Amino acid sequence: MKKRLPNQIPPVQKQPALIRTENLSFDYEKKQSEPLINDVSFSLEEGEVTLLTGASGSGKSTISLCLNGLYPEAVEGYAEGTVYFRGEDISRFEKGVLNQKIGIVFQDPESQFCMVTVENELAFTMENLKVPRKDMAERMDAVLEVTGLTEVKYRAIHELSGGQKQKVALASVLLMEPELLILDEPTANLDPVSSLEFIQLVAKLQQERKMAVLVIEHQLDDWMAYIHRVLALNKHGKLIADGPRDKVFAEYKETLTAEGIHLPKVMEENTQKLGGQTPQFLEPSLSISNLSFKRKERTILQDLSMTLHKGEFVAVAGENGAGKSTLLQLMAGILSPHKGTVTFQDAPLKKWREEELRKHMGFVFQNPEHQFITDTVYDELSFGMKLNGTPEEEMKEKVTELLGHFQLEGHRLNNPFSLSGGQKRRLSVATMLDETPDVLLFDEPTFGQDAKTTDELMSIVLDLKAKGTTIVFVTHDMDLIDQYCETVFVLDKGNLAFSGTPEQLWDKESLLKQARLRLPYRVRQQKEEGDVYDLVR
Amino acid sequence: MISSVNPAVKMVAIIIPGVLLSFSFDIFTPLTYLIFIVAFTFLFSSIPVKKWLLVFTPFVFLALGFAWMTTLYTSDSFSGGRVLFEFWWFEITTGGVMVGISLALRSLCFVALSLMFILTTDSTKFMLSLMQQFKLPPKLTYGILAGYRFLPTFKHEFEVLRQAHRIRGVGRAKGVKGRLRQFRRYAIPLMANAIRKAERVAIAMESKGFTGSHDRTHYHHMSVGKKDWVFFASIVGTFFLVVFTSYQLGYLNIFGRQF
Repeated sequence: MKKRLPNQIPPVQKQPALIRTENLSFDYEKKQSEPLINDVSFSLEEGEVTLLTGASGSGKSTISLCLNGLYPEAVEGYAEGTVYFRGEDISRFEKGVLNQKIGIVFQDPESQFCMVTVENELAFTMENLKVPRKDMAERMDAVLEVTGLTEVKYRAIHELSGGQKQKVALASVLLMEPELLILDEPTANLDPVSSLEFIQLVAKLQQERKMAVLVIEHQLDDWMAYIHRVLALNKHGKLIADGPRDKVFAEYKETLTAEGIHLPKVMEENTQKLGGQTPQFLEPSLSISNLSFKRKERTILQDLSMTLHKGEFVAVAGENGAGKSTLLQLMAGILSPHKGTVTFQDAPLKKWREEELRKHMGFVFQNPEHQFITDTVYDELSFGMKLNGTPEEEMKEKVTELLGHFQLEGHRLNNPFSLSGGQKRRLSVATMLDETPDVLLFDEPTFGQDAKTTDELMSIVLDLKAKGTTIVFVTHDMDLIDQYCETVFVLDKGNLAFSGTPEQLWDKESLLKQARLRLPYRVRQQKEEGDVYDLVR
Repeated sequence: MISSVNPAVKMVAIIIPGVLLSFSFDIFTPLTYLIFIVAFTFLFSSIPVKKWLLVFTPFVFLALGFAWMTTLYTSDSFSGGRVLFEFWWFEITTGGVMVGISLALRSLCFVALSLMFILTTDSTKFMLSLMQQFKLPPKLTYGILAGYRFLPTFKHEFEVLRQAHRIRGVGRAKGVKGRLRQFRRYAIPLMANAIRKAERVAIAMESKGFTGSHDRTHYHHMSVGKKDWVFFASIVGTFFLVVFTSYQLGYLNIFGRQF
């Protein structure tokens, strides 16, 4: 048993903390011996930026909703303990009042708005606050100015980019002039540059307005400079670390790593590139020539040509909406090109029989749930083999092997939908491996995953690669590209703007900027060191 | 302009003639009113004729279908008059033809009225107006607006799901039983996601201080003014004028009773 950590904040203070939770427990179901959030006590101070981190499924998002009193009421869950807002029990606040003091920006840009246009969405917040009509226009224009959204005031929200959507969410929350701003993985769906822009905007606003900020995040690096304090939850919903940033990362390094929590890159030693030398690829596996694709008169991809080789690890990068996912679907033959051809193992995709093609080529979707078609994990894994008429004995053997390899033995008869996030991800990959595919395509597989899930996935992928499978990742994660990939294709507004090794890409600064990509941490660090060196010299 | 008329008033103005029209079984009344509505639509709105025709035309064929069916199967109380021609066991009477044409014209009246409403009304303003004029609970109106935003995402998700299943080889499942199972395979993840998203939106709305109470200010103040009553009077008034004229000329026929 681990000892419980002492509270870092002294219990008696002259000024009550902005938020103080005492022995907070919560679960969506009835009272259990080990609730989702288990006996958590911490404080959030005025004007402080706090990071809340923890493995997937540790209850981070749930805590944030307990703080503004939406839970347990909204879900009829079970809760114990008390939450105080400036020393006052939040259960004594009138409905809707506390919500205005605590603003939340959520992860999914698609599901946090209820109005069609930016203007009406912002108006919605002010109407809730009962802002007099004559003041609304002025306040709206001010917040649009601050968030840099003035130009899109009359636009429909669904037409905006992911980064803009999250800024709209931020703007509508800022209208409440909250005392505490909670950011629940706000940049998980954004391209690298939009993500950085959002973080910098929040940092600027925090410094101007001195509001308290609680950031819930897996990817810590860009936030590191602004964080004062760190809280960490373990898988059982217990608080395992609470203290100043540097102290927590220094003292609890092992504990955090064991919990599968991403450490900031500054603390990790092995950010070196794997492999070192780029091997020579000779055997082509899939090639694309002069491919164009249109959707309703709008050109998505324009005249692309590229060749992928056996055993090659390829990344496709680019801004949101640059056509990355479309390209992947064209490679898999689930979309047909408008012009040009995709050739897979000497035959154009059109000539392939559907069954044969699916045996040789796998596709892992962003949302693993989309791929589940049966009621149990076992059926899920044997589905493809049944279709191919594999003999019973051989099938059983293969499924057992897959279950073992992907650590799903205990879940053989569980419903795929009931698995945890990481297990769903592993299963979605496993379903593609009844026969070792020649090409395996991934659409943003690491998105929203904790460190442990990502590492597991990468080890599976590297295994396959060693067997000669061509791996294609559509990803925003530049560090992953830097660490694992041999070839990068950069798409910019439907054109192939770059193809080559990651090392070559990192030298092309103007291209990176244009495609809204960033340098990976390792290279940024080298550049900084280089600059210091230049100064010293 | 019709687009600036208060949506709630507009809705009532359209429902009244819409309902009353269904009682008239002659040709003159719906025909005259249809001409009026179409003329009114183009005179007082900026709907492109091409767009209007694109939506309207399919309904013309549908209405013709209705007319033909009614002509063949007219109930006894209407099927009086001279027998025009016979084939197989059908007798086509003048009465039947009249009722058929009347039905077609009535259907087209509904379509024209609906189009006048749909093509000139902003869905957000419609909901706000229902809330402000008819005191519909904000919980309901904002709920509908939030749901409205989901439609495009739902379509996109269905597309992705179909692709994902195709990759897994589901398309290869055969037979009626296989098809049924396939439907269930789509339904469960779609529903699961829809519920999850709805929950998220509800939480997001509440976290922005939405309580569902009527006590809130309004950014778009939906007022009812002179212009709205003029519109109401023209649409409803003209209807009664048409009915009156029809009565004067002896065409009016309500539920088969000639006046």
